[in-house]
Amino acid sequence: MSATEIVFYCIAFFMIASGLGVVLARNIVHSALALILALGAVAGVYVILTVEFLALTQLVVYGAAVIMLVLFALMLTRARERPQALFGKNRPIAFVIAAGLLTAFIAGIVASEWATTNPDDIEPLPFQEIGDVLFSAWAVPFEVISVVLVIAMAGAILLSQPDQGEQ
Amino acid sequence: MPPLEHVLVISAILFSIGVYGVLTRRNAVNILMSVELMLNAVSINMVAFAIYGRVAFDNTFTGIIFAFFIVVVAAAEVALALGIVVRLFRNRATANVDEVNLLKW
Repeated sequence: MSATEIVFYCIAFFMIASGLGVVLARNIVHSALALILALGAVAGVYVILTVEFLALTQLVVYGAAVIMLVLFALMLTRARERPQALFGKNRPIAFVIAAGLLTAFIAGIVASEWATTNPDDIEPLPFQEIGDVLFSAWAVPFEVISVVLVIAMAGAILLSQPDQGEQ
Repeated sequence: MPPLEHVLVISAILFSIGVYGVLTRRNAVNILMSVELMLNAVSINMVAFAIYGRVAFDNTFTGIIFAFFIVVVAAAEVALALGIVVRLFRNRATANVDEVNLLKW
């Protein structure tokens, strides 16, 4: 087992542990902090898969911006101040559904034959190639997605504005 | 590099954790966090297929572009959804999804 693989399995363990933390934590702010770790671990997986560009995007967008928004929403909705039941009534059913999905996924993954290259022959993907493709073949979707982002931001500002007469 | 199957399995585990969170948690913000976990699991899958199948698919790597777009769309989705949650809290004084039954018949 190479060093890369050992690092990969450590990151994977870390990612799953903090994912469980997000779902099971009793304190909702701890959930948000566990989410930072989980998303950081996903960025680590991207680094192992030689896509550093995505790892950086992940850290900047998720690790900073999205977490910031989530923490602000928790603060504004005062989720911590009022003790209450964290989980709904359908926990057993949800567990069965999640476990069933996982079993189906793993069975499918094991049963399939993947036409992949030998993992040791994979060469790192340079930044420049991603940039070339993003601004040639994918230029139009790229522009459309920036318009979507602007509209979403405008919508979010509009939604959170107070009504007339509301204090 | 780890074999493709192992990457797929860890992303399947992360996705199932996200499904469990979406189905059980009551707080809307916490449900959103679980949705983020699911989106990230799917992104890992896309990147893994793009990297491991790059040679087989004529040196294209569309999966990475898709993962990039997923990040952007998730950012937009979180901004809007948290705006709705804050609005909901202001109108109904709760962020628990099972207490919001305005549209329930």
